[in-house]
Amino acid sequence: MKRLISILVFISGMHVAAAAPDPRLDALKAEVAAKGWIVYGARSDNGTWDLFLSRPDGSARRNITNTPDSEEAAPRFSPDGSRLLFRRLPKGTTIDHDRWGFQGALVIANADGSNPVAGEDGAAPWASWSPDGKQVVCLDKQGIHMLDRETRNEVRDPMKRQGIYQQLFCSPDGQWFCGVANVGGESWTVVRMNAKTGEMNAVRSFQNCTPDWFPDSQQIILSSRPAGQKINDGYGYTQLWAVDGAGGNDRLLYGEEGFHIYGGAVSPDGAYILFSKSPQDGSGAENAGGEMCILRMADTPTIAGESAELRQLHPATKDGPVLSLGQGWEPHWTYAEIGAK
Amino acid sequence: MRSGMWRLVCGMVVFACALASVSCGRGTQTGEDEHVTTLGTVEVTAELVEIRGELIDRPMYDYAHVMKYKVLTVHRGGDVGDVIYVGHYNPLKPRNAVADARVPEVGGTVQSFRVGDVHRIALEFPIDECFMGGIINKYHEENVSPVYWAVWTNRARRP
Repeated sequence: MKRLISILVFISGMHVAAAAPDPRLDALKAEVAAKGWIVYGARSDNGTWDLFLSRPDGSARRNITNTPDSEEAAPRFSPDGSRLLFRRLPKGTTIDHDRWGFQGALVIANADGSNPVAGEDGAAPWASWSPDGKQVVCLDKQGIHMLDRETRNEVRDPMKRQGIYQQLFCSPDGQWFCGVANVGGESWTVVRMNAKTGEMNAVRSFQNCTPDWFPDSQQIILSSRPAGQKINDGYGYTQLWAVDGAGGNDRLLYGEEGFHIYGGAVSPDGAYILFSKSPQDGSGAENAGGEMCILRMADTPTIAGESAELRQLHPATKDGPVLSLGQGWEPHWTYAEIGAK
Repeated sequence: MRSGMWRLVCGMVVFACALASVSCGRGTQTGEDEHVTTLGTVEVTAELVEIRGELIDRPMYDYAHVMKYKVLTVHRGGDVGDVIYVGHYNPLKPRNAVADARVPEVGGTVQSFRVGDVHRIALEFPIDECFMGGIINKYHEENVSPVYWAVWTNRARRP
């Protein structure tokens, strides 16, 4: 009987501990609350994908597209935070986690979603911003294109894409591109390309994607599903990693067995990382997205959950607080202030 | 009379079936159809001699896998050499079900890829200019060039 009581006491203690608010989370929330805005795609009440703005603590959430007759996704702030680019798809289109950059039309709008200007359907695939925000960089079979933001005309000759096939992003200093490429017979290799000479190097090979730049233009954040994982029937789970642009210095940022981590983006000052996690591979783009989260860079590597296999590989985990922002897809962060629509 | 008429009808049916079988058989034997003879810029009948590496069963990710063929007949496109390397889109899918939003123009009658089978293939090249997606090329270190892109792949018999 004594043993039973102590088990019950232990279980109830565990329950209280699990339900207890984590003061570290409150501190993180307070720390990021006034640091600009997050934009992301999410299902709205009418069931379609719309774009939402919220403060980094999840407050002040508002729908900035509100279009029941179309789907909007994959927003990115311009480097100065004054504009947004995103893709608009016909209502009912399933967003393909692997193909979204080819889908629908490129729309450029003010950062609060006002004054949206849409291009032709299918044009300007995989569009992202140039460092000054006056141009957009695109990727198609013919190569890498630089288009004027307003006219959408090419401002220079296209560069050879050299096997890059998706998720192309220009570094903040304009010196580099990063993207996903076929290199050395291996697909899903994240590469860095010199934006002037076209010289290219592999950054990380085997099952990597969604690369993006750190503010210093020297490091890249990416999703990676390393080989040799036994869990999930040997398929493993995708984790968030950082790698030097020149290659090497690979380091885990965040992992959680049971969840695939995608959509990694670094805050404008490099102090935080933003990502989404989903039990389904592909970041939940085909459904309602994943759970968006914020983590301090100083708290990396962090491993959440039991994650026995991962913890064995990375014993130095810091297990920092992870702030949840709710469901969404491809979140992006600016420290600029954005007024009302 | 009745039996004679019956015999005649039966004979005509058998003849018609035989004719149809020869006619269809020619297509099956040669792999020829309106797609394979018109799509792409190169058309060959070739034996699949090697599938290097494992075909990945990962339905959420589209990819092409490069396979090695011994050329038996060149129908279009000039001298392509004795051996060619061909990337097939999502190779675990039957060719008549492989076309999708990313790659709408591929197809054929091949149901699965087996070493030793003979295919009649409409090809384009280089693969990099035809397909934007993951390409698994286990021949990369041998510097094979060009790597072809299979547009239409029909089952055929050895010529």
